[in-house]
Amino acid sequence: MTLWFVFALMTVAAIFAVLWPLSRGGRAQSEGSEAAVYKDQLSEIERDVANGLIGSSEAEAARVEISRRLLAARDSQHGPLMASNTGLRRSAAILALVGLPILAVAIYLPLGSPRLGDFPLAQRARAPDVAQPFDNLVAQVEAHLEKNPTDGRGWNVLAPVLSRLGRHDEAVRAYRNSITYSGDSPERRSNLGEALAAAAGGVVTAEAKVEFERAVALNADEVKARYYLGLAAEQDGRTGEAASIWRAMLAKAPPEAPWRPLVQAALARVGGAPAPALPNEAMAAAKDMNDTDRDEMIRGMVDRLATRLKQNGDDVEGWLRLVRAYMVMGDRDKAISALANARQAVANDAERLQRLNEGLKNLGLDG
Amino acid sequence: MTRKQRRLTMIGGSLAVLAVAAALVLNAMRDSIVFFSTPTMLAEKPVVAGKRFRLGGLVQPGSLVRGDNLAVTFQVADGSAALPVSFKGILPDLFREGQGVVAEGALDAAGVFKADTVLAKHDETYMPKEVADALKKQGHWKDDYGAKPAYDAKPAAATQGASQAKQGVSQ
Amino acid sequence: MIAESGHYALVLALALALIQSTVPILGARWRDPALMNVARATALAQLLFVAASFAALVALYIVSDFSVVNVYENSHSTKPLLYKITGVWGNHEGSMLLWVSILALFGGLVAAFGNNLPLSLRAYVLAVQGWVASAFYLFILITSNPFLRIASPPIEGRDLNPVLQDIGLAVHPPMLYLGYVGFSISFSFAVAALLEGRIDAAWARWVRPWTLVAWIFLTLGIAMGSYWAYYELGWGGWWFWDPVENASLMPWLAGTALLHSAVVMEKRNALKVWTILLSILTFSLSLLGTFLVRSGVLTSVHAFATDPTRGVFILLILCVFIGGSLSLYAWRASALKQGGLFAPISREGALVLNNLFLTAACATVFIGTLYPLALEVLTGDKISVGAPFFNLTFGPLFLPLMIAVPFGPLLAWKRGDLLGAAQRLTAAGIAALLAVAMLWAWTRGGNAFAPLAIGLAVFVIAGALTDLAERTGLFRVPFATATRRARGLPRATWGSAFAHAGVGVALIGIVCETTWNSEYIATMRSDDVAKIAGYELKLDGVTQRPGPNFREMQAQFTVSLDGRRLGEMTPSKRNFTARASSTTEAALLTRGASQLYISLGETTADGAIAVRIYHKPMVLLIWWGPMLMAFGGLLSVSDRRLRVGAPKPAKALRGLQAAE
Repeated sequence: MTLWFVFALMTVAAIFAVLWPLSRGGRAQSEGSEAAVYKDQLSEIERDVANGLIGSSEAEAARVEISRRLLAARDSQHGPLMASNTGLRRSAAILALVGLPILAVAIYLPLGSPRLGDFPLAQRARAPDVAQPFDNLVAQVEAHLEKNPTDGRGWNVLAPVLSRLGRHDEAVRAYRNSITYSGDSPERRSNLGEALAAAAGGVVTAEAKVEFERAVALNADEVKARYYLGLAAEQDGRTGEAASIWRAMLAKAPPEAPWRPLVQAALARVGGAPAPALPNEAMAAAKDMNDTDRDEMIRGMVDRLATRLKQNGDDVEGWLRLVRAYMVMGDRDKAISALANARQAVANDAERLQRLNEGLKNLGLDG
Repeated sequence: MTRKQRRLTMIGGSLAVLAVAAALVLNAMRDSIVFFSTPTMLAEKPVVAGKRFRLGGLVQPGSLVRGDNLAVTFQVADGSAALPVSFKGILPDLFREGQGVVAEGALDAAGVFKADTVLAKHDETYMPKEVADALKKQGHWKDDYGAKPAYDAKPAAATQGASQAKQGVSQ
Repeated sequence: MIAESGHYALVLALALALIQSTVPILGARWRDPALMNVARATALAQLLFVAASFAALVALYIVSDFSVVNVYENSHSTKPLLYKITGVWGNHEGSMLLWVSILALFGGLVAAFGNNLPLSLRAYVLAVQGWVASAFYLFILITSNPFLRIASPPIEGRDLNPVLQDIGLAVHPPMLYLGYVGFSISFSFAVAALLEGRIDAAWARWVRPWTLVAWIFLTLGIAMGSYWAYYELGWGGWWFWDPVENASLMPWLAGTALLHSAVVMEKRNALKVWTILLSILTFSLSLLGTFLVRSGVLTSVHAFATDPTRGVFILLILCVFIGGSLSLYAWRASALKQGGLFAPISREGALVLNNLFLTAACATVFIGTLYPLALEVLTGDKISVGAPFFNLTFGPLFLPLMIAVPFGPLLAWKRGDLLGAAQRLTAAGIAALLAVAMLWAWTRGGNAFAPLAIGLAVFVIAGALTDLAERTGLFRVPFATATRRARGLPRATWGSAFAHAGVGVALIGIVCETTWNSEYIATMRSDDVAKIAGYELKLDGVTQRPGPNFREMQAQFTVSLDGRRLGEMTPSKRNFTARASSTTEAALLTRGASQLYISLGETTADGAIAVRIYHKPMVLLIWWGPMLMAFGGLLSVSDRRLRVGAPKPAKALRGLQAAE
């Protein structure tokens, strides 16, 4: 509504600009004339003579010439200004009052999009429907996959995004397709299991457990699958078995493994071992947060990860996590630049580079 | 002088200057205009060794060899034909294998194009316009060379005074 | 709301321009002051609306509103604020909006400060401005609308072109446009004069300040663009005879001719018909430049043929305005009364000579620029017309012009005394000969042409000084009298002396740079020393470091002369990974008017780096010359004589300054 009000105001201003001179037209106007110019040229000659810049005979000749022009200008003076020409003025006024708004609207309406509001970037980032443009991207990928259902890479990209959006059932389907068309892998199996569990509200169902077991069968060290198998045991009430699975994981885990606190916390929950207090709190805090704060926290974590990797770029998994995080956050440019940095960081280490490239392939970002 | 004589003097002077200008233009047209060619066009219509022309095409991937003291050789191809080019100097920033290039110079007796200038003058589509046109004609143009229609060339749009994407090297 | 308001403001500006182009003409025909004054009000309102529209687009770029197609395609949220703003005119649509904004600005200035004009002349002038403006508003709205929207806006913009993120590039298009578009005023005055069927000496005086302002901006814009190309493109060239450059040079040449012929017309009421023609041609060349750059015909004739909407539209505008004004000229020019008589040897004669050579030079540039296009369209042959062509045509035409420059101001109006002028130029001639002799001795065996050319430049500069000395009577009258006279000299006289000296200064720079430019190209390793023009440049080392969105390879050079350390130079090469492109950042070390110039090439496999080092003697004079010319123009504009007849001189003065 305000927009139309602004339009109306602008139109009125434009009409006023035409009507105003018409309304006060009767008054005499200051008007320049050629005579003024020639008079000034004459006085200029006087000045030049006084300054000794030109001789008196040249000055006299110039004076004669300019005077002749002055006379000619007087002779050919414009006719007197008409007091008024009411008919013409009236039609000009009507043109402004009627023609101008009609013309403006007739041109604007087919070209403009008056119903679209502003979308400044800052406002959008804070707006509740932050996922809206992201949804568009997802929709595009989905549309693409509808036409090319055998594009495994597409499913690889789509599935984790759907998971994050909370569309777990569709994520399950996407992971299944991803396995069908891109081949089996322990990661995909455990991601599928995770999606199944999430779809069931966090319960590791029998169906999910099967997937985790397959993942572990493919790779005995598949972290996510083993964690969830422990969780399944816990949910089944077999806390002892859960604790032993997790304890085994921790025993084999490198000290800087990022998932260590999570497993420790779980272990503490089933009474296996005293867990450090902080992760527990952090997890609890995360649970209580609203979406915005959680986004904030995730962003903070990603930033910390990025800073750490800048100092020590050897951590291939870390790089992959960073790239994936950016992808999930919808920041493809940052993901690509992180990828470039990662390549640079591990360029001297063929084995790491290979691992990185494989990981990137899985993210659908190779090349 | 009478008014008529003055006018004749003026007209005569003007005509003289115009005649001089026309003579200069015609003379320069004969000597300093450089034609553009591609390897395929050369195969059909050979150019004598020593005559300067501009050669355009794509830098054949894998053909770039760097010698001592900034000497380089590479092949310029346009799908059906290729021509070896030798050059001494620094290649422009935007020179890369598989991309379009325009080189100015002449053929030597052995049929190698001795370039004294290598231009990677192009818009954001990384394709010199002569090369793009030539490739299009031969059907080698792929749309992914240019994400945007080429006429909306941003560099030209952004700079009135200097073609900013121009990079040249002279010996 | 910002976007749509900006869009609507642009539409309103079009509506107002249409009224501005019709009602005042009727008013002038019927001598109705109210109707004529509509021109003034609509011109001001039109300026207001188009400025609002432009401001809206700038605001959209600042807040990164990617729901606007133009912003999405040409901006990026991580661009620095300055380049977000300058990005507004870094693209076709935005730059056309800037074009019409400047057109409206000039129209608004005429409306606001044209109190000294006869009412009907002002009405006609503004009406013609209205025609031009209407045509370009339509062009923008129909083919290049910057306010089109995307319903579901993308999260990030597309453009982050590193080469375009440069301050020189950001400032110079508006400068050029102020020049290009400024000539629309002299065009409008010319067409108005033809419509009215009246033209006299006063007309020339009224049109001259506007022409001067446009000329000053165009001069500065061209110089700035040239300097930008010099330091940014990494190989030290400063003029390429590129069609885009020629497009700005042609209006400059024609505009320079116009400035001079307008002087003749103002003082002697002669050359009226020719001046009108030049006014039309100058703006036509500006339009042609806009067409060449905007239609894409330079990028590819084929691309132009496959998507011709924009190109054809501009071509249409071009044909209507150039064809229309020339037909009007052919029809009405014969009705203009002949003016004052003069002998071939006279100030007028010298200015005619100036006009002849400038327009002939302009014509050769025109042919060199358009001939390849015409040939390609007609026969399909592709040719390139480069520096050799222009050196062979433009150079010889400029030579006699330079010789004539010092004579002009020393000749009297009507009937001059060539011998007398030559006598008064004896000192300048001796200075020039001395310069030639000294240079000859100093560069023995070198290029014979260069000392002669520099001698010519010295002659031009000394000639300009001679003119000042003659007018003040320096060396002839007591010094106190001379200073008093100097103060009494019209500023326009000082202005022309400065401008002419500027030509000489630029010529010295051009000749020195092209003749004694030394170049060193090689691969260097750490601690290697390059020797060039007596300087020693030691490569201390190469460091890699990350920038905000690029990786930079920076080389440190220590520069010394005769064992004395002068300073450090750090050229670099930036790789923008995201766009897979790189830029070369040349390092410059200024010594007086000369510069050392280093740019980096690629690194070889064994770690050495290719470098290109230039010593460019007196190179800065190339740009100081135009600055001097522009300063001279500024002095002329500020001359009170140009503000004759203004009821409130102080106000008019402010107006001209506002336009600067």
